[in-house]
Amino acid sequence: MRAYLVFELRRLIREPRMAVFTVVLPVLIYTISSGSNEEAGQVGGVDVAAYLMVSMAAYGALVGALSVGISVSQERASGWLRQLRITPLSPAQVVAVKALLASLLAIPPVVSVGAVAAFAHGVSFSAGQWAALVVLMWLGSLPFAAFGLALGFTLPPQLTQPVSMLGVFGLAFLGGLFVPVAVMPHLLASIAVWLPSNRFAELGWSVVAGQAPPAGGVAILAAWALIFGGLAAWAYRRSAALR
Amino acid sequence: MTEAVRLQAVAKNYGPVRAVDGIDLSIARGQTVALLGPNGAGKSTTINMLLGLLEPTDGTVQVFGGSPAEAVRAGKVGAMLQESGFAANATVRELVELARALYRDPLPTAEILATADLAELAGRRLDKLSGGQTQRVRFAFALAGNPELLVLDEPTAALDVESRQAFWAAMRRYAATGRTVLFATHYLEEADDFADRVIVIARGRVVADGSGADIKQLTGGRTVSFDRAGADPDRLRGLPGVVEVELRGERALLRCDDSDRTVQALLSDGQPWRNLEITGAGLEEAFLSLTATAGKE
Repeated sequence: MRAYLVFELRRLIREPRMAVFTVVLPVLIYTISSGSNEEAGQVGGVDVAAYLMVSMAAYGALVGALSVGISVSQERASGWLRQLRITPLSPAQVVAVKALLASLLAIPPVVSVGAVAAFAHGVSFSAGQWAALVVLMWLGSLPFAAFGLALGFTLPPQLTQPVSMLGVFGLAFLGGLFVPVAVMPHLLASIAVWLPSNRFAELGWSVVAGQAPPAGGVAILAAWALIFGGLAAWAYRRSAALR
Repeated sequence: MTEAVRLQAVAKNYGPVRAVDGIDLSIARGQTVALLGPNGAGKSTTINMLLGLLEPTDGTVQVFGGSPAEAVRAGKVGAMLQESGFAANATVRELVELARALYRDPLPTAEILATADLAELAGRRLDKLSGGQTQRVRFAFALAGNPELLVLDEPTAALDVESRQAFWAAMRRYAATGRTVLFATHYLEEADDFADRVIVIARGRVVADGSGADIKQLTGGRTVSFDRAGADPDRLRGLPGVVEVELRGERALLRCDDSDRTVQALLSDGQPWRNLEITGAGLEEAFLSLTATAGKE
């Protein structure tokens, strides 16, 4: 299983396309939006620059975690996953490696947006806060990794990409990553707090505010992890039975 | 335990289509067996059930005395599937190393690369290979774990003549180490040249099972056909060298194992005939006649 993980990691590093969406784009949006909000004060008890940093890091993490679906559906179509099924590697190990890789893709955006925030926008936290931010955003991305896997095991390659993009934008927008929930219309705001994307970013917002994430939010995120995990398991079994 | 593979009354339906219609077969360890049949005969479906990729609708499949999944998990099986692709962004060597790492007792890398004739392509990216090269990589991947049972589905499909010969030479060397090899093909020549035993499958059933020579004899005949112009089918059946007579409207088709004698007899017999034609029984036709025979039993 370790050999497979190393094999996949090496492939991931060679795929520069992903970096554009998970690192360059969030950093760019962050730079543009926080540049115009320099004097805007605070959102929810946090400096705008720090708040936006978490929002954009969460957005990048979402893109990264969901992207696993695209590679899974391509590998399903090409027959590579079928080839792996006739090796001693168990299907559960393959899926676990994929989920791990997907969640790892959530880390570069957090680190890179954080670095830009720290060096260009004067955001500063303790080392413990930075570490907590990275670890929580990494673990918190697992439901999205499962969502990506569910899409990848259900859809053909040409559909997986647009559907994941829609998923990312829908979750990011409705979850308050582009527009803070505090300034959303009432109806949208009441939806936002039930979404995994909102509760995911809340992990980061809590850390930068120097607080522990609220238990209710963590519970909602965990519930989504179960839902997406169940969907992914179902989709995997269905696709394995078909081929 | 001398049996590598055992299929008992195995059947597979795809919706209303019965792709495999009750196959019984047993393959001893160390045998090299060809699964011969036309496209759509059920070869790939049979192989996929044997590898645990498909569940049979009926019957049982055993590999080394256990389920296919158990044999695969234990690293006893290596397989080369039809048109299976590889992950992009990796090199031939990386893929071979991955395969080696997954099995307990793999072959040395250099030996795998040499056997599959890939030594010069080791550093090449998998998405930059030609069809024939990809096929060799599939072979290398199947071979890498030094499996006891090697399953090859249409292994020479994308290969040119030269690579084909190299491939079979490599396969032979592997089989000579006492391993069990099962390969599917629709070329009788390949089956005859490289297998100890040829199992012919048509329409989802085993229609013949024997040595290459046996099968060749079954399928090597010719068809003599002509417009009957009132000739008596029973007398045609009695002509020397005729195996079977089929009437298609006015046309009589005599399947012969010795068409020379049949034609000589036909000329001297005084039976009326027009538009005489002698054709070699194509493999397809031979399969169909084998299936027709199997259907009558």
